[in-house]
Amino acid sequence: MNDETKQKINERYQKELGRGEFFWPDSIFKDLIVSLGIFIVLVLLATFIGVAPEAKADPADTSYLPRPEWYFLFLFKFLTLYGQIPVIGRIEWLAAVLIPGIGIALLTFLPLLDKSPYRHYSRRIFALVFMAVVVLDIILLTVMASLPAAPNAQELEISTRLQATGGLWIPLAVLALLAALFIFRRDVYRESTRRSLPIWITVAGSLAMVAMTVVVSARAAAYPKPEEVEVASTLVDQIFAGQDLYSVQCVECHGDDGSVAVIEGVEGLEGEEITPINSRDVLYTITDSAMYEVIAYGRPNAGMTPFGKTYGGELSKSEIDYIVIFMRYMWDDRFELPPEALKPLFPRLADGEVPSYDVHIAPIVKRYCISCHREGKENNNYLMTSYEEVLTTGDNVENNIIAGDENSYLLQVIQDTPIMDPEKPDEEMIGVMPPSGHLKPDAIEAFIRWVMNGMPETAEDAAELSVVPTPETTPAP
Amino acid sequence: MWKKVFDWLDERLGLNDIYKNLLDRPEPKGNWWNTLGSASLFLFILQGVTGIFLTVYYTPSPDHAYDSIQYIMEGVAYGWLIRGIHHWGASLMVIIVFIHLLRVFVTASYKYPREMTWLIGVGLLLATLGMGFTGYLLPWNQRAYWATTVGTQIAGAVPFMGDFILKALRGGPDLSALTLQRFFAAHIWILPAALTGLVGVHLYLIIKHGESHFPTRED
Repeated sequence: MNDETKQKINERYQKELGRGEFFWPDSIFKDLIVSLGIFIVLVLLATFIGVAPEAKADPADTSYLPRPEWYFLFLFKFLTLYGQIPVIGRIEWLAAVLIPGIGIALLTFLPLLDKSPYRHYSRRIFALVFMAVVVLDIILLTVMASLPAAPNAQELEISTRLQATGGLWIPLAVLALLAALFIFRRDVYRESTRRSLPIWITVAGSLAMVAMTVVVSARAAAYPKPEEVEVASTLVDQIFAGQDLYSVQCVECHGDDGSVAVIEGVEGLEGEEITPINSRDVLYTITDSAMYEVIAYGRPNAGMTPFGKTYGGELSKSEIDYIVIFMRYMWDDRFELPPEALKPLFPRLADGEVPSYDVHIAPIVKRYCISCHREGKENNNYLMTSYEEVLTTGDNVENNIIAGDENSYLLQVIQDTPIMDPEKPDEEMIGVMPPSGHLKPDAIEAFIRWVMNGMPETAEDAAELSVVPTPETTPAP
Repeated sequence: MWKKVFDWLDERLGLNDIYKNLLDRPEPKGNWWNTLGSASLFLFILQGVTGIFLTVYYTPSPDHAYDSIQYIMEGVAYGWLIRGIHHWGASLMVIIVFIHLLRVFVTASYKYPREMTWLIGVGLLLATLGMGFTGYLLPWNQRAYWATTVGTQIAGAVPFMGDFILKALRGGPDLSALTLQRFFAAHIWILPAALTGLVGVHLYLIIKHGESHFPTRED
């Protein structure tokens, strides 16, 4: 740039200053309004949306799908799509380092590369359309990266191809075309009559990219939503989460209230003497972190297997924390259970009211039965994790639950009557359930009414079966 | 009386000079697109203030990071608000800085005599992204842990020196207490210091050259 041009630019700027405004108060007024607006938006976001809770970091949980912060998603998607390209797709550093590196270098040294002194849009068509395609691609890649994953290999291949077309090949082709025109036929950018060509290329390419993204999004809308992992953020939620986990993982040996001193009905540990974990002996002498470690590592000498994921169990770090919190607040008399955590297991049944699986039976089963009656446990193949399973699984399925029959095995065993083996009359085929402890009378009553009335699943089904028009059910105090 | 105080201060601080050089500057006619830079600066300051509050309770160790944030959210009065603003402010800052860059690109404000302003600006963008990357690990939750695992892995793909970069970022072959400690250091000391310096130069250059005008057919 020669001095003459520089002087022209400076004179031109002085002219603009002459008919301009003043920083104080004109510009700064707008600045302050925008800043205030931003602050208000942030306060609203923090108040009404907040920060989504997330489980504690768990290096053992390799099944976790890593996702970067949203403004890096486009790069993440770009890497995934790039990896699909044959041959050079294998050379990871090309896409991970070289291409972003070139991008940053181009951006950084833009003023040195773009030496033309012209500033008006009409004289910068190439720069503008090129940047437009890049920015659009960044936006579309971000959109694509936030879609749920394809459910099967076939769909994955189709969606990856569509994404690669819309997010990689079309923008690449458009950029290449624009650059080629700029190098070989620069006149198309200069002559105003033919200036429309690069713009039309850009518009057509952009529409194609957007169309591809719409197609991909439409297909993804039909995919199963990824399971939302519930993260307990408040103390009460954590106590409930701990209770649910305890019901599944611990009740088998320790009983629903932690009072078991001699294990019953657990294969391999029958008759094992243990310290009741709800006792002061345990709660007063073991710190939270020691308790965490016992659950995570187990106590091999006493027959307790490790429960932490790192050591072969099923529990993540956060989940073990919840169990420890649950034990503290439930049994340790130095901790005060928040009143909200004291809700009854299921709403009390009124006279003549028929319980339903959803409202009454499921919570009881979850608390007292699932610990053994799930996949991988000794349970005569009787699984109880869903309505269907409760009714249709097990070695004794034909006698287990019979609508309207009070001799259903299930009803007998929960009322302290073991089922004898028809071939060897002095041997128990099914012992009393739960093996240690008893169900509370109201839970037994709920089971009896449920079976006698034909095992309704939903609250509506049960309401139809109820004899007396039921008054509003009020939770037990 | 006030006049006397003002004169005394002006004599020593040069208040009038500041007013003349800083505030009473003529500028080309601007519009709302010109507020993006100051909005970025406002967000940077806001992130700084909320960040300082957060460090009062935050503990950068794998054993306590998660619980200390839990405490900020549950136990500290208005802790949820401070963290919420910091969390959303980070995202908004990236957006605003990016749009600011686009605005400068579209109006070609990076051309003579403002080349250096642009150069520093790109540095500011990269430092902002660095803040986002390092800040993301600090809550030490699943999302943070695994995103950083993958992020540092990608940096490790650099030919020849990838392994060195990976170990330098993580403080060892794996993510550990050292990684958290150095991301924390980068997030609250190194990058903010760099940002503050760059912002200073950026602002000086803006005052030196003035805001660019919107181009017309003449340009």
